[in-house]
Amino acid sequence: MQPETPAVRELISTEKNYQSAEVWTKVTGKAIYGIDLRLPGMLYGKILRSSHPHARIKKIKTSAALKMPGVRTVLTGSDLSCSPYGIVINDEMPLEPEHVRYVGDEVAAVAAVDDKKAEEALKLIHVEYETLPAVFDTGEAQLPEAPQLHENFPGNVAWRREVVRGDPESAFRNADLVVEGKFHIPQFHPAYLEPVACVAVSEPDGGITLHTAVQSPDIVRDLLAQVLKLPLSRVRIVGPVMGGGFGGKVYGNLNLYLISALLSMQTGLPVKMQLTREEEFTAGRPMVAAEIKMRMALGNDGTFLGREMDLITDNGAYSAQAPWVSNTLAERNDSVYRIPAIKTKARLVYTNKVPTGQYRAYGNQVANFACESLIDMAAKKLKIDPLEMRLRNCVRPGETTVHGLQIKSCGLAECLAAATEEIGWTKRKKGHGYGLSAAIHASGSVVFDPNLRGASARISLELDGNISLFTGEQDYGQGTHAAFSQIAAIALDLEPSRISVYSKDSLVTPYSMGALGMRQATIGGKAVQLAAEKLREKIIRTSSEMIGEPVIMENGRIRSASGRQVDFTEIAHYYHGQTSGLTLTGEGSYVPPESSYDDTKYGNIAVTYSFAAHAAEVEIDPETGALTVHRIVAAHDSGRIINHLSASGQIYGGVAQGFGMSCLEGYLFNEGRVANPTLADYKIPTALDVPDITPLFIETDDPEGPYGAKGLGEIVQVPVPGALANAVADAAGGWVTEMPITAEKIFRILSNRGAAK
Amino acid sequence: MSYFTAASLDEALNVLREAKGKALIIAGATDLFLKGMPSQAVDIASLPELGMIVEEQDYLSVGAAVTHAAAASSPLIMVKAAALAEACAAVGSPQVRNLGTIGGNLVNAAPAADAAVALAALGAKAVLCDIDGRRRVEELGNLYAGYNQSRIDSSREIVLNLIFKTCQFNEGSAFARFASRRALSLPMVNVAARVGLENGVFAEVRLVAAPVKPAPTRLFKTEEALLGKEPNEETRQMVEELASAEVKVRGSLLRCSADYRRHLIGVLAGRVLMAAVRRVQDKEES
Amino acid sequence: MDIGKITFLLNDEPVTIYADPAESLLHLLRDQLGCMSPKEGCGRGECGACTVILDGKAVNSCLVPAGKAAGKNIRTIEGISDGKSVHPLQRAFVEKGAVQCGFCTSGMIMSAYALLAENPAPRQEEVKRAISGNLCRCSGYKQIEEAIMTAAEEMNENRVRFVEKEQKE
Repeated sequence: MQPETPAVRELISTEKNYQSAEVWTKVTGKAIYGIDLRLPGMLYGKILRSSHPHARIKKIKTSAALKMPGVRTVLTGSDLSCSPYGIVINDEMPLEPEHVRYVGDEVAAVAAVDDKKAEEALKLIHVEYETLPAVFDTGEAQLPEAPQLHENFPGNVAWRREVVRGDPESAFRNADLVVEGKFHIPQFHPAYLEPVACVAVSEPDGGITLHTAVQSPDIVRDLLAQVLKLPLSRVRIVGPVMGGGFGGKVYGNLNLYLISALLSMQTGLPVKMQLTREEEFTAGRPMVAAEIKMRMALGNDGTFLGREMDLITDNGAYSAQAPWVSNTLAERNDSVYRIPAIKTKARLVYTNKVPTGQYRAYGNQVANFACESLIDMAAKKLKIDPLEMRLRNCVRPGETTVHGLQIKSCGLAECLAAATEEIGWTKRKKGHGYGLSAAIHASGSVVFDPNLRGASARISLELDGNISLFTGEQDYGQGTHAAFSQIAAIALDLEPSRISVYSKDSLVTPYSMGALGMRQATIGGKAVQLAAEKLREKIIRTSSEMIGEPVIMENGRIRSASGRQVDFTEIAHYYHGQTSGLTLTGEGSYVPPESSYDDTKYGNIAVTYSFAAHAAEVEIDPETGALTVHRIVAAHDSGRIINHLSASGQIYGGVAQGFGMSCLEGYLFNEGRVANPTLADYKIPTALDVPDITPLFIETDDPEGPYGAKGLGEIVQVPVPGALANAVADAAGGWVTEMPITAEKIFRILSNRGAAK
Repeated sequence: MSYFTAASLDEALNVLREAKGKALIIAGATDLFLKGMPSQAVDIASLPELGMIVEEQDYLSVGAAVTHAAAASSPLIMVKAAALAEACAAVGSPQVRNLGTIGGNLVNAAPAADAAVALAALGAKAVLCDIDGRRRVEELGNLYAGYNQSRIDSSREIVLNLIFKTCQFNEGSAFARFASRRALSLPMVNVAARVGLENGVFAEVRLVAAPVKPAPTRLFKTEEALLGKEPNEETRQMVEELASAEVKVRGSLLRCSADYRRHLIGVLAGRVLMAAVRRVQDKEES
Repeated sequence: MDIGKITFLLNDEPVTIYADPAESLLHLLRDQLGCMSPKEGCGRGECGACTVILDGKAVNSCLVPAGKAAGKNIRTIEGISDGKSVHPLQRAFVEKGAVQCGFCTSGMIMSAYALLAENPAPRQEEVKRAISGNLCRCSGYKQIEEAIMTAAEEMNENRVRFVEKEQKE
């Protein structure tokens, strides 16, 4: 249990809507985003991309482009000295020297004095291709006669995993009921509103400064140094404001970064590059597509006995984070409930399509679509209320799940109760469909990089008595930095507005994994708390040294027993003088316990876990299948809520995204080409589409997180697909098993049942 | 390029004449700007004579440069040609409706253009003027050369206005579309109807659906079957069946299958028909 | 490419520039006039991040050929407050948590500004319609809608106060 001092209580209640000062730059149009960056002498880079899904490059002629006035350099894959690289698998080059594997693959790049000239120069590059047979289907790609995309990956299988926990065979043998389903999930793009943009500056010392807004700048820095063969200290990432990320900008766009760096190194000038919206869709890194076959074994009373999953994920041409995403997709949902036996077979398969990566909850949300649909299918067969079935099986505090996750704080049962109560589960409107879904998501992964499990922060008392906080954790609207100010404010007994947060320059901020795996509020926030507490101690010690008697700090004031008062400015100046210019600084590092992960990946993987249950209410037009989502109630256990305004914003936005992917979005392909690479045809929700959303906070008090807080940013999306699938099934009488749940698919279900009017 | 903002119709025609086929008329430019601007543009969007909505006796004239936003909020159009107001309100987004014009919507010749579908149902004719000052009046259907191809040659003629008979006391019109998203979305289908009732039965019906052919398509068989029938649930169901049986449609990867599109045309035909009837009944009741 | 002289009012101040009239107003504002608040999210009128007000109407500046701007009055977010105080919309966006990444915010506020100029007391449904051409991926729109309604109320209260003060004097 966290100590609930008056300060904690007061700050969490009175400052619950605190916003960082940066927000004012955004409402006045002054915030500088990646696309806004301009540096003196800057060139503009553009990429020539493959127009074939699979081909060999026989020849590239660049002379005409090079001769064009205004063009400063042209690069092709054969100019590069780097080796294939990757986040998980080294299967990618910034520019492919001889073998292109999807429509959009990088072939050549130009730097010119303006973007129009760069664009025109691309047309002057002549590439001779020898087209190769292409494969777009994960099933066909595994056949022996299929074209091989990469050496060393026979059958085009990039990654595979098989897991058995407990005794699934006997679970299914002894089951009273076995339900099964097959689910299809397309690629989804995070569709952040700002396309990835960067300016690379080649420095006189041979290094590179990359200006770009990215969720994990330090990891990108490591990769740039590795691929460009530069000393790490010569690579610097400076961040402008980020126009949305949602997991899609954990690494930004690595090829874009590498190409702009190479162009800058070649020309000695800054090079700006940005993706067009079409490039975002065709050559970005959407989340993996998945085919899920699943079986579930139950007892007559609704007890879960076992689950089997056969998962095939579509990697596209290169791997990015797809292996990790596939892994989360395959197993995270197993820990929502007590499921004693699990059997999972997962394969990630190369195809000649857009490479894939991650989006918000790392695949947990699309697995939720399958897992939660199947639970309701079983509930229907057993005639058990889906709420009751979930309450009977859901994970509880103090338990260890089938994969070894150690659950400390857990309000899942309370979330289920609250969401259903609020939606009117037992007082249903006639003709409306109701659906429920539950989720777990790891908050603060300790297995992502076992050598860097935690986080650190540095916090200084400035001469003017204000506080500067340096962190590697990134805020692009989630409210992380406002929460950090609040956390430090609690430790230092002062107003959060006196604490400025700096995170955007790798030269001065502590190393961090950045915004991924719901780690920032939990792990990053804990480091801030520890750093601030250290500074508090130092302030107290220095004050008593200064006035020569013991002091106490209370309500932002420092005073001695004799009644003498000192303020922060005085102490700062005193220390400054004593040390000839240093500032009082607290460094905090939070190192979570090591993972107990074993060879089979059994073990605790995160500092803590967040939970959620969503309930949806929908209505279907029986004549067309058109779906109206009236309401989604989102009940969340993210521990103690530090900032209610931002936390609510995360829920509204995340649920809206979950609604979008469930009902509107998804990639469409035509012979491997993305058929809907625009915001007109890749339909993210407008204000008229988003349903009424009600956030509910079940505030458990987590023993690990700062002042009891846990992560929220990713789990907000996770239960939505399942809740909507089940609500639609309740209204239509059958499940749509293919995302997105469109009117046409609902209509087909109604027609098959003879229920269409 | 050169850009000329015309201050009068004569001026616009003069520039076209002098450019000898090299200049093109532009209005809101929302579609044209993406397709590629001409090397010489003559902007007619702010010509006062093309921006008017005028009722003359039983006819309504809507200027070609009237924006979708202006048409959607025009009391005259809302009362006398509700289908057109509904169609214009359904286009794209507020921003696009503020720029895009009715005339431009026709010249762009998209097969499921909302305004064009409503205008066809209302029986609108287009008034055009060429560089020699010759005016002609064309049926909407005659303006289409193919999918997304207009017969209107914007280098030598200008759509001035659209003219149609206003809905009289015994007449009503309605428009509906079906799209996966509620804004910023092209429709899977759109359907509009104009009906006239006499003695409680259909005396006149114009029912138009898209996308069926390059131009908004009248459902003649369904229209005919309705004449003399009473508007009731039975007729609505009949319309649903007849309308979807009457059309041959294509499916598309981005929108929906052919079967579903045909089904939707039936459902929406029934709905717009009854909505148009309700508008007549509302007038009779009040 | 022919360069033409284009004159218009930008936030009530006359500006004259030389540009290709086929260039978009968005690029004109950003690249030539240093007015960076309109953002390019798609360049095709499909996201609304570049929304500005042209003669009182919200438009996608990425779809407006520069030639069309000639003689017009263009307002961006730089021109809705006097630099000393903030517009009620800006304050409400901050107070209601309507801003996350902020990339859509300028365009969103301009659509709201155009709405409130025409309809000072909109219903929530009218607010939704008015911003339906402005995509926001972060917020789910809820807090944006609240902010616009709150700003409308504040502006109406200010108007009442102003009238009352006038009457007293």
